[in-house]
Amino acid sequence: MTALAPQRDGPGTAAVPGPRRRLPGMRLLGLVVALVVLVVLLVLSVMIGSTAIAPSVVWDALVGSSVGIDQFAIRDYRLPRTVVGLVVGVALGLSGALIQALTRNPLADPGILGVHAGASFAMTVAVGLLGVRDVHGYMWFAFVGALIVTLMVLAIGSTRQGSSPVVMVLAGVCVGAVLGGAREALQLTDPAAFDAMRSWNAGSTAGRALEVVWPILPLFGVALVLAVAVSGSLNAMALGDEMAVAQGVRLGRTRVLAIIALTLLAGGATAIAGPIGFVGLMVPHVARWIVGPNQRWIFAYSAVLGAVLLLASDVLGRLVIRPGEIPVGVVTAFVGAPVLIVLARRKKASGL
Amino acid sequence: MTLLGRRGAVVAATLSITALVLTACGGAGTEAPADPVAETRTVQAGNGAVEVPVAPQRVATIGNTTLPFIDLGGKPVGVTAESDSDVALLPADEQATYKSATILAPSADEVDMEKLAGLDPDLILVQVPESEFESIKARLTAIAPTVFFGLDAEWKALADGVADAGNVTGALGAQKAEFEQRLAAIKEKYRGIVGGTSFVDVTRYSSSDPGTFAIADIGCSEIARDEVGMNFPKAADGADPLAWTALPFEQIGELSKYDVITYPVDVAGRPTEPFAPVVETNTWKALPEVGSGHALGVFCPGNNSYGSVIRYLESLDRALATLPATG
Repeated sequence: MTALAPQRDGPGTAAVPGPRRRLPGMRLLGLVVALVVLVVLLVLSVMIGSTAIAPSVVWDALVGSSVGIDQFAIRDYRLPRTVVGLVVGVALGLSGALIQALTRNPLADPGILGVHAGASFAMTVAVGLLGVRDVHGYMWFAFVGALIVTLMVLAIGSTRQGSSPVVMVLAGVCVGAVLGGAREALQLTDPAAFDAMRSWNAGSTAGRALEVVWPILPLFGVALVLAVAVSGSLNAMALGDEMAVAQGVRLGRTRVLAIIALTLLAGGATAIAGPIGFVGLMVPHVARWIVGPNQRWIFAYSAVLGAVLLLASDVLGRLVIRPGEIPVGVVTAFVGAPVLIVLARRKKASGL
Repeated sequence: MTLLGRRGAVVAATLSITALVLTACGGAGTEAPADPVAETRTVQAGNGAVEVPVAPQRVATIGNTTLPFIDLGGKPVGVTAESDSDVALLPADEQATYKSATILAPSADEVDMEKLAGLDPDLILVQVPESEFESIKARLTAIAPTVFFGLDAEWKALADGVADAGNVTGALGAQKAEFEQRLAAIKEKYRGIVGGTSFVDVTRYSSSDPGTFAIADIGCSEIARDEVGMNFPKAADGADPLAWTALPFEQIGELSKYDVITYPVDVAGRPTEPFAPVVETNTWKALPEVGSGHALGVFCPGNNSYGSVIRYLESLDRALATLPATG
């Protein structure tokens, strides 16, 4: 499913009306509503867990300094987990919007460029061959693996005529398949590596300390700046490469910057939480459905809605089989798939 | 290559193959008389009545039979791999025995049948899930008499069955006597504590998800509960073991409702590597049991053979002895 969507002559920037005209005021209002929902979910994520802790104790844990089992539970588990959910959700949503804009493919997600495959393979090597067992250790392997593989895909996808989204996607699928096979071979010969990878592969925010997040945050900051910087060019590229060039867009530079941004975002998110599917695929669809084809708005909405989806899924995963939990990656698949099907069956799908 | 050359090559190849076939036939013919049909006897196993050699010399063990067989003094020619951490818990002589055996597979469900057949075993001992056994039963029995134990076989019955089939009953009697003696001593020594104290055994596996632990109602605490009579939590009849549910670290606080917590330590008394993240949490450190000396590290080298259970009881005895005197 990697074929590019046919280029359209129609919707481009705000100058050309989309399937439905959206007023800037309505978009802003929608974003505020999404932010309010996000704040509510942040509060719920701190309030709800596998044990019942009174709201007064939660408040005391957040603003006070008293030491008790419940206060530690809030500070050491729920709060870091909430921050991880927020950061990873923003990163996945935004990276999904970037890859879909870049490839003009509504079915693209960061995994299509080999991000997940690179991270998983590097992690398997770290765990299986090098004996790394600590999340802080293998997180960097995952991140570097994602970066290297994406750069490899970028190199393979660059032809003499410049980089091509089609060739890049094909290269990503091929490299992903090869690395997937190598990863499985390693895991089959090393049950310990398989065990360690089993939970990571499900995608989870549980057990990740804030120390895991801090080193990645500056990279996310860089990616955010890059995403904003290329959003205008990506708007023009939605009209087709020739039109974009006519408007002064430098295609190669835009693509490289966009790929760096989405790799930092998706690679960092995957390194922290493992591969979490559907967020990067589904959220940009919802964003386009709400705001139309303007990439700046799509990026803003995707970042917020990505965090909304991830936090909502995580809270749900804590409630379904209490006192156990379902990893957030499993819940996003269950929540995301039906929503995506509904969106895809709409009369006016959120195509590119 | 000339025509003559090609013909020469074909003739040479044909002669070589013929020679190989004849050698193989000759080999089979000469081996049979050297390995006369051994005397056999019948043992009852999970797969029915099995004819086994009276004194098997080349035993292969698959799944959970490896460590009990070695514990009884057996020297298997081939084994399915045990985890490095489990092997490290064995006494030195048993580790040496394990390492001298040929590894047949990284796990019990992937037995390399060619390698197994190449070892020419005269007995195969198996304890794996029944569905797994059914899928390899025909191939195993074609190689050697195969004695199967289901996972529902209690550890004492497994030790009896392995000792009987593998003809290693010599050590069994002594092990049983020592076990009974230690058990009686612990029951007597801690009669007052065992009666009115609620215990919980917690664990964490190397495969556990980050940020999770489990309540261990299977494993060594099963021995403490069923044999010593200690009050450890147990899953409801028909339900999955509690140990199968991964509990988030947030649940550590719930352990405060028990009087005494036991947790896994290595032979030197340090928390096992997988469990170390639990004792490093603030919630663990804040538990009243931890602060009052009611959290006990217990060494569990295994729970399916007398030797390892005896070592567990020794550790349990030492741990219970450290409990502060009550009231």
